[in-house]
Amino acid sequence: MISFNTDEIVRNLPELWIGLQYTLVLVFVSLAVGTVIGLAACLGRLLGRGLLSTLCTGYTTIFRGIPETVLMFWLYYCAPLLGGVRPSSMAAALVAMSLYLGAMLSEVFRGGILAVPKGQTEAARSLGIPEVWVWINVILPQAFRIVIPPLIGVAALAVKVSGIASTIGVTELVYQANIIAGQSYRYFELFTAVGLFYFMILFPMSMLAKRYERKLAMRTR
Amino acid sequence: MSFTFVQADICPVDQASHMKDHVSKRILRWLDPGSVLLLAAIVVGLYNFIDWSRVASLDFSIVITYWRPLTTAAAMTISITATALILGLLIGVGLAVLLELPIGPLRYIINIYIELWRNTPLIVQLFWVHFGLPALTGVSTTAYQSGLLALTLQSSAYLADIARAGIQAVPKGQWDAIKALSLPGRTKWLEVILPQALKVMIPPLGNLAVSFLNGSALLGVLNVGELMTVSAKISDYTSKPVEIMTVVALLYLTINLITTHFTNRLERFTQRRP
Repeated sequence: MISFNTDEIVRNLPELWIGLQYTLVLVFVSLAVGTVIGLAACLGRLLGRGLLSTLCTGYTTIFRGIPETVLMFWLYYCAPLLGGVRPSSMAAALVAMSLYLGAMLSEVFRGGILAVPKGQTEAARSLGIPEVWVWINVILPQAFRIVIPPLIGVAALAVKVSGIASTIGVTELVYQANIIAGQSYRYFELFTAVGLFYFMILFPMSMLAKRYERKLAMRTR
Repeated sequence: MSFTFVQADICPVDQASHMKDHVSKRILRWLDPGSVLLLAAIVVGLYNFIDWSRVASLDFSIVITYWRPLTTAAAMTISITATALILGLLIGVGLAVLLELPIGPLRYIINIYIELWRNTPLIVQLFWVHFGLPALTGVSTTAYQSGLLALTLQSSAYLADIARAGIQAVPKGQWDAIKALSLPGRTKWLEVILPQALKVMIPPLGNLAVSFLNGSALLGVLNVGELMTVSAKISDYTSKPVEIMTVVALLYLTINLITTHFTNRLERFTQRRP
């Protein structure tokens, strides 16, 4: 093994910190927008009939089935050719990630709502509780609990997907590391450091999800 | 019987109007207010944001001109994903079996391996394997090799996790029976535990296949020569990115839908036979 130059990492920490900030902005904004889209798509699919539910199902199928790389590339290079809007790389990455995460989240929410035992809603309805209150007081609180571990999973996915934004030139963590490493050819050191950064974000999340899942499994048993 | 008489009594004209009524009712039910609103929003958005003269000038025949490189690249995408998943399955199941052995340090090391590869983004792993690893090992790999290696390493970690869950889902009675019959290790794993575990693993495996196919598009950053690389090159060369990328996106979507369909069928098939 050639000398592992930690100096190189320490010297470039400010640049990496800028990258990390961009990554966090990407993750939080796209998760927020994605949650709204996901909720709308999920409710449209569960409550709507006919065309609305078809549209929502189509949305989830399409955006789960297209690679995020292709989606970002399409929005950044192809969308300006079709319309008057020319998005910045950040805007394109945000829209692509929001659409992708929205599709993922709509599946998660739908799974959570469908996982609420049928007896619960039947009991509530047979007691003559209005439909709105069945949703507010019976379905959603239970679905929320079921949904937490996969929600953390989607948040972790957002962190992982945000790295792809470097391919269209958003100056986030991977992009910064690539630029710095390109100058000194210290790829090994820098990408080990970046990998560790991501690991430090993602590992606690996956542990949390796992612990919560175990707790849920024990409660339902 | 009397019911059929009543039906026959309705004259054809009445029946036709009745049918028309029925159809219009069905269309009305199909178009509830929410969907109408959404459709209107989509139409307004498309009308305002899209330059239709540009859309009209799109020339999709370019895809037919380049069908040969595109199909070979798609085949390469599928083969590299499938290879990574199969190798990952073998390694992952092996790791999951090793995890069941009561060796403390080994279990610790495997867990670290799984968590390390599961909790870092694929793009970082790709760069690390392609540019970083040669500094460690002294062996430099081609883009294809490092792409396959990174995909395999990550898929092995995911599959080890899935396989562990599958093994733990085997009912306790089976383990007790193995102990009672004192089956040898080979029979225990190959004929009792793993077949049942694999059955449980099919749905998550299908999801993983889709996510790895999507992930394989990232290999474009290393110029591996799969679908993303080739399509980016063609769209640069012809300066018709819209046509090429739209078709490539649809191609990925089709492959993913086919994969999902077959995993669903496989799942049903394995559950039908107890």
